[in-house]
Amino acid sequence: MKIELTSPIPGKIMKVLVGVGDVVNEDDEVMKIESMKMENPVYAPAAGTITAIGVRENDEVEVDDLLLVIEEGG
Amino acid sequence: MLEAFANGFSGLLAGFLHLQLSNVVMIIVGCVLLYLGIKKDFEPLLLVPIGFGCILVNIPLANLMEPHGFLRTIYDAGIMTELFPLLIFVGIGAMTDFSPVLENPVTFLLGAAGQCGIFLTLGLALALGFTELDAVAIGVIGACDGPTAIYVTAKYAPHLLGAVSVAAYSYMSLVPVIQPPIMRALTTEKERMVVMRATRKSVSKTTRILFPLVITILGGLIAPMGLPLLGTIMLGNLMRECGAVERLTKASANEIANVVTLLLGISIGATMDGKIFLQTQTLIILALGFIAICLDTACGVLLGKVLYVTSKGKINPLIGAAGISAFPMSARVVMKEGQKYNKKNYLLMHAMGANAAGQIGSVIAAAVMLSVLKGMGII
Amino acid sequence: MDKLTFGVTMLVVGMGGTLLTLGIISAVIALMKKIFPYKKEEEEKA
Repeated sequence: MKIELTSPIPGKIMKVLVGVGDVVNEDDEVMKIESMKMENPVYAPAAGTITAIGVRENDEVEVDDLLLVIEEGG
Repeated sequence: MLEAFANGFSGLLAGFLHLQLSNVVMIIVGCVLLYLGIKKDFEPLLLVPIGFGCILVNIPLANLMEPHGFLRTIYDAGIMTELFPLLIFVGIGAMTDFSPVLENPVTFLLGAAGQCGIFLTLGLALALGFTELDAVAIGVIGACDGPTAIYVTAKYAPHLLGAVSVAAYSYMSLVPVIQPPIMRALTTEKERMVVMRATRKSVSKTTRILFPLVITILGGLIAPMGLPLLGTIMLGNLMRECGAVERLTKASANEIANVVTLLLGISIGATMDGKIFLQTQTLIILALGFIAICLDTACGVLLGKVLYVTSKGKINPLIGAAGISAFPMSARVVMKEGQKYNKKNYLLMHAMGANAAGQIGSVIAAAVMLSVLKGMGII
Repeated sequence: MDKLTFGVTMLVVGMGGTLLTLGIISAVIALMKKIFPYKKEEEEKA
């Protein structure tokens, strides 16, 4: 099943820590978003394989913008 | 000839001969403040000038705080006239984005609860035998807001200025240490795990421009004694939000705020003369200030719990802790604490809302307090 | 006025007044958001 991770807060993507094809566990750190001058870690919503990434570093994001897609159970 | 040599030489020794124990202690205190600012990164912009001012004023015979001494001149020009804290407020208004609290106006109430410590501590100070106005100045440490504390103290209890402002600024930087244990003690694991989704933008530009105007007029009418504080922070914010005077906004937030911070810091340091500062009273004030900030946090979290119940579990009580004026430290503490218990929880925007409300709250609390004092005929 | 009266007055009127003022502000802002609702186009123009 595909699971979409959307941005929980408005801010700027500081770092993308994973790439397409990477296997992640639930609660692994996948990105860092800078919001209100604070670095906020974003964690994987489920275990699986990353199939798509919707943002690049330095992109500005709003709440609910797509960050990445995980194929669950991979 | 020889006598002239000896006399001349004695001039170079006089400083040492006049050095008193209290001066030595205060020079060490000044060095500790410098250490905290430089090495530990506790509010360096303030502690460095304060610490240095403290050292300067404790070197005997230089008379920097006597009439015509340069520190006295700065102090009289900016602190006694209240200009420095007010100019800082224009800068704070120009720097602060109040939209997180406008997104969810209920959080204004958390900004009120976060001021509870002011009034409870005021009572405690009275019970310990401080006079009414001294107690007011001590209570205002609980506003967790340096300029507000300085404004009130300089006006009504100037002899406590050193102690009160050192307490206000040092505890502000200790917020990340003071708050989490209180937050944990007062909430259940289930409450801490409540996920609050970030709200989508819902504040129009018109609202953001009208906000400072409405607050100034409304707040000014309710508590006219605090209008200087409220008016300056809101002027700064209006300049920021209207976008028409970018140069003034930038100048207020950067150049003016920086210059004034330097002058403010050095003149606060200059009030820390050993003879005045080294009294048991100072230690009691530092202790009461600490209690004030703990009580603020506790009341904020408790109101957060009330909102948790009334919202049927939608509001995470942790954000109540951010209802103080230590911006944005307190909101960061809440964000980190929330994510500790639930990695998918991002309380940041909500905590920022409570935190921005805390800024307004501390100003309103001080304004209300002064107007109540005026009404009772105390000032 | 004795200190007890003073302390209790400050606590009740002071804290009550603070809470009330911020309550009013909160209501006014909520009202303002209704009168001037957020529109996406407006922000893009600005």
